Amino acid sequence: MRKEKIDKTPARLDFLQSFTGLILALFITGHIMFEASILISNEMMYKVTIMFEGYYFFGEKYPGIISFLAAAISVIFVIHAGIAMKKIPSSYRNYKVIKNHIQGMKHEDSSLWMVQVITGFMMFFMGSVHLYIMMSQPSDIGPFASSSRVVDEFMGPLYFMLLISVVSHAFIGLYRLAMKWGFMEGKNTKVSRARFKFLMKAMIAIYIVVGLSSLAKYTYIGMTHDFSDGVKYKSQTIKMENH
Amino acid sequence: MKVIYTDVLIIGGGLAGLRVATGIKGRGHDAVVLSLVPPKRSHSAAAQGGMQASLANCKMGEGDNEDVHFSDTIKGSDWGADQEVARMFVHCAPKAIRELAHWGVPWSRVHRGDHAAIINAEKVTITEKDEAHGLITARDFGGTKKWRTCYTSDGTGHSMLFAMDNKAKQEKVEVHERLEAISLIHENGRCYGAVARNLMSGELVAYVSKATTMATGGYGRIYSVSTNAIICQGMGQAIALETGVATLGNMEAIQFHPTAIVPVGILTTEGCRGDGGLLLDKDGYRFMPDYEPDKKELASRDVVSRRMTEHMRKGKGVKSRYGDHLWLDITILGREHIEKNLREVKEICENFLGIDPAVDWIPVRPTQHYSMGGIRTKYTGESQTLKGLYSCGEAACWDLHGFNRLGGNSVSETVVAGMLVAENISDYLDSDESHLTIHTSNIEKFVKIESDKLDALLTKEDGEDAYVLRRRMEEIMMDKVGIFRNGDDLQEAVDELEELCKRSKNIEVFRSKSRAANPALVNAYRTQKMIKVALTVAYGALLRTESRGAHSREDYPERDDANWLKRTITSWPDENQLVPTVSYEEIDISKMELPPGFRGYGKDLTKHHPKTAEREIVVNAVKEKLEAVGESRFEIQNALMPYLDKLPKKYRAINERLGENI
Amino acid sequence: MSESKKQRVLKISILRFDPHDPEDFPHMETFEVEEADGMTLFIALNEIREHHDNSLKFDFVCRAGICGSCSMLVNGRPTLACRTLTAKLDEKFTLAPLPLFELIGDLSVYTGKWMRGLNERLETWIHDKEEELNVDKLEEKMEPALADEIYELDRCVECGCCVAGCGTAKMNPYFVGAVGLNKIARYQLDPRDKRSDDDYYELVGNEDGVFGCMTLLGCEDVCPKDLPLQSKIAYLRRMMLKNTL
Ligand SMILES: Cc1cc2nc3c(=O)[nH]c(=O)nc-3n(C[C@H](O)[C@H](O)[C@H](O)COP(=O)(O)OP(=O)(O)OC[C@H]3O[C@@H](n4cnc5c(N)ncnc54)[C@H](O)[C@@H]3O)c2cc1C
Ligand code: HEM
Ligand code: SF4
Ligand code: SF4
Ligand code: FES
Repeated sequence: MRKEKIDKTPARLDFLQSFTGLILALFITGHIMFEASILISNEMMYKVTIMFEGYYFFGEKYPGIISFLAAAISVIFVIHAGIAMKKIPSSYRNYKVIKNHIQGMKHEDSSLWMVQVITGFMMFFMGSVHLYIMMSQPSDIGPFASSSRVVDEFMGPLYFMLLISVVSHAFIGLYRLAMKWGFMEGKNTKVSRARFKFLMKAMIAIYIVVGLSSLAKYTYIGMTHDFSDGVKYKSQTIKMENH
Repeated sequence: MKVIYTDVLIIGGGLAGLRVATGIKGRGHDAVVLSLVPPKRSHSAAAQGGMQASLANCKMGEGDNEDVHFSDTIKGSDWGADQEVARMFVHCAPKAIRELAHWGVPWSRVHRGDHAAIINAEKVTITEKDEAHGLITARDFGGTKKWRTCYTSDGTGHSMLFAMDNKAKQEKVEVHERLEAISLIHENGRCYGAVARNLMSGELVAYVSKATTMATGGYGRIYSVSTNAIICQGMGQAIALETGVATLGNMEAIQFHPTAIVPVGILTTEGCRGDGGLLLDKDGYRFMPDYEPDKKELASRDVVSRRMTEHMRKGKGVKSRYGDHLWLDITILGREHIEKNLREVKEICENFLGIDPAVDWIPVRPTQHYSMGGIRTKYTGESQTLKGLYSCGEAACWDLHGFNRLGGNSVSETVVAGMLVAENISDYLDSDESHLTIHTSNIEKFVKIESDKLDALLTKEDGEDAYVLRRRMEEIMMDKVGIFRNGDDLQEAVDELEELCKRSKNIEVFRSKSRAANPALVNAYRTQKMIKVALTVAYGALLRTESRGAHSREDYPERDDANWLKRTITSWPDENQLVPTVSYEEIDISKMELPPGFRGYGKDLTKHHPKTAEREIVVNAVKEKLEAVGESRFEIQNALMPYLDKLPKKYRAINERLGENI
Repeated sequence: MSESKKQRVLKISILRFDPHDPEDFPHMETFEVEEADGMTLFIALNEIREHHDNSLKFDFVCRAGICGSCSMLVNGRPTLACRTLTAKLDEKFTLAPLPLFELIGDLSVYTGKWMRGLNERLETWIHDKEEELNVDKLEEKMEPALADEIYELDRCVECGCCVAGCGTAKMNPYFVGAVGLNKIARYQLDPRDKRSDDDYYELVGNEDGVFGCMTLLGCEDVCPKDLPLQSKIAYLRRMMLKNTL
């Protein structure tokens, strides 16, 4: 019946938006948990850090791996944000329209979307800063180095905001992802939706609690630790070969 | 003055109107459809139960065919129907449903193997044939011998109307929505279209056409409580009546549906009882078997409605502030069945009563439901007296239903009549007779008359309030021209309606003086017209001193074939008269395939016509003779009452059925 | 239900405007109506028209939640007025016409025109290459479960609530809305419609179609017919994506 070729771009962009969102969300769920290793002990946090630096694979640390990871995430981040831009109200008029709509409707999912846009916007700035630092100073990660950044370099407030926004954005995003693609949809879609929504709220709560606790711990270390001999952490169990 | 020319003007965008329009387009002519509302919002969408067509696919429909459908229809009509028309109808119903299936209606289908059903309050298992798997299935409905009512879950009318409207869109049928026909343009006994009012801008438009079709639905809203949509106000019948030329048939034949919810009158489908629901009284007692031991809850509608009223009169009704009612119990069908097959009913119960029908009984009582009467037509669908005016669907008295319509026969009628009328009109358009001969100045005259009337309504002072008149009319119809009727009440009704008719000439539109969208103005002119329609109903009922089908006279309980085997024909030749002119059209027994008999409900009170016995002898003799030489049922039928020549050629072929003619 | 129970007096604020009156402008007007048992907005509004202001415009047809004529904003949310029981609302509430659709006056909007445009644009009818059907023959068979599934989606009454409840539709006037996407899902499911997946993609595989939808789910939550809109939009999205692989 038809002659012309279809334009496949919209489908691909939509998929890419979701796919990058998914990767970022999975990354962030892991990331916050790894950071939280500080809650167990400084030693644990250190081990996790050097694991990412490849120590357990190569027998020595390559902070470049972190730079590479941060760079990869940054690329995905930029792609994701770039595609998301299309969805963000492009004019003040549209912004008003959607704001009035959401206020008038008093509809949870529509409001959640607004949360996503706002948190996305916040991350656009804060996330960039964070990612830039991770790329440029990868070796400065560790129980003391990170704590020092939180307190002495005044990254604490930024991390706080970033945590709140990234956690809400990621889990709302995952919920939306499930709705958008019909992931694990039960026979009664109303029930599966309600379950996903509950899961989303629970995860947001858990991650904010965990994230805030680790942030508190870093702050505590940052305030109490004596940084006179540098920010490098000296592990009791792992002795680095000299370099 | 805005004038729009077209080949065919179709007034009404329900199932009937859209089917006509589609057919006419298919034959290469032009058509414009006028509708008060976007077509998909027409009242046809409300039909929940189903459409009758003798497909005989499901187990309980086995053995069904045109003959059985025909005899059910005629008996249902209490022999008031036109038997030739009924034959044409039952022959074409399977064709119409197959066409609709092709156009996208998702008819519910037969599933091979066992399924449970409730028949007569008992669970039974029905085993469907393998070869029927995937064909259109059917359910039980009142007054039918076989399970013949095809359905889509409980949204039959909705699905049909949507498929029909989509088809019309595909055929690029032009639809002018929110346009109301307010008078017909006619000259020398021929109709040339209509004057219509744009309900949004108030503009008057003259639609000039070679043929005009009235498919405006019923007139239930002359009653205060009705299952009908609020736009079913009989405007089609009224403007036909106001020509003074076109006639209406059997206007007094009004059907009451047994199970509308109390108080709002929203219908719960007959499917509730068809699927096994029961009627209970205030003691929770199932009373229908006492009255109708054979068909019980599934007796014909008029019968069940009367039995319910009788039972309530015995003090067995449940008292409520809105008057007495009875219970409909569908809890025995189980939640799963209700949620799948009777979902609309469930929604209605939840939203309008706040109850759960899987647990609670539903408060119901008989309520105005269907108008058997309407614009009297020949079998072709053309008015008997006004050339070029056609009518079909509930608006018409084609006379398929006589004095009582079978559930499921009316949506079926809309599409069957629609397809036949489309062909007949197309033939007419192809002939030389159809040329337009009316002069523009005469068209202008008709527009001017309407414009003046509207001005009068808007400028009148010290006039009557239309709402007051209308509410009074509705009450009179409800109280005095209801399920049981008697001479005294009817006389009072006619007298008072006459008075209202006089007062209605003096209606004033208070405060709201806009000529554009103005509900008060609309109500004013419609009230004037509705009162006239109400008068045709009440007056026809008063004169008919017998009981037939849905018309039930307490003072004349017997069906009187000797004097009343005839149709009431009403007209309004003089604008100033206050009651309609009534005449009668004899129904000829000597041509009947099925001579008058006993319908089989209650006691047989029929006063038979002398010709009945004669005709029976003839019919039996023909049957015996032809059966003896092994003629087919088609041959026998043809010998008794030939009708195929009345159908358009393309619809004459025999229908295929599982196990027949394949 | 007791007789002696004092009925509430409802204070109904209605957003009024008559576009045909050059002097009129949108304004709120409040009417007081005594509540009755089982009162719906259909009853309440007619009471206002009959006893307070006969120029009040609104649309009801079936008054039974079947025809989709009477959608309006009740306290800001789109819904069918005829099946809204006043008992479920506070004493004070507001009514406003459905946004996005052409306003006829007061609460009356022309949803039908929008829907006609949609139907024509998406060609919501069975596309069939065959010759004329022979109506004398047995109908084509269809799996009973499939017929049910199609009916489930066919139940849409084109009331426009999902469109009025959709943020995307508000920002993008060309967006087909959940109603449009549902219709495509319905025809895609129907074996009688011979359109290919590419054909459907052409219709809704873009920002005005399924890829414009931001999954706000307003549609799903306001649809008076409880259509599985979220699930069907997700299905379409998967199908459309698969089609590009
Ligand atoms: C609640 C309910 C349930 C029913 N269930 C069943 C069932 O299960 N099975 C069955 O067979 N039957 C059923 N019926 C009956 C059946 O639905 C109707 O008889 C049938 O649909 C009528 O169709 P129609 O096309 O003749 O008219 P309608 O569908 O009523 O259409 C009338 C059209 O005319 C237009 N119109 C009216 N006046 C004017 C005017 N002046 N100018 C312009 N346009 C005008 C309207 O806008 C509308 O488009 C039911 C009826 C009711 C009330
Ligand atoms: C760590 C960072 C981020 C994570 C984990 C993340 C995660 C997600 C996820 C999972 C989705 C759902 C995808 C979908 O609906 O298809 C999503 C959507 C979205 N994201 Fe992000 N995101 C991140 C950063 C950003 C940034 C920086 C922005 C904005 C500048 C942004 C803006 C959006 C928007 C607007 C949506 C909604 C798009 C839609 O509904 O289709 N996100 N995000
Ligand atoms: S999910 Fe949201 S964006 Fe998509 S159609 Fe529904 S309301 Fe509109
Ligand atoms: S999908 Fe639902 S809300 Fe949207 S038009 Fe259809 S019935 Fe109305
Ligand atoms: S009037 Fe028909 S849905 Fe409300």
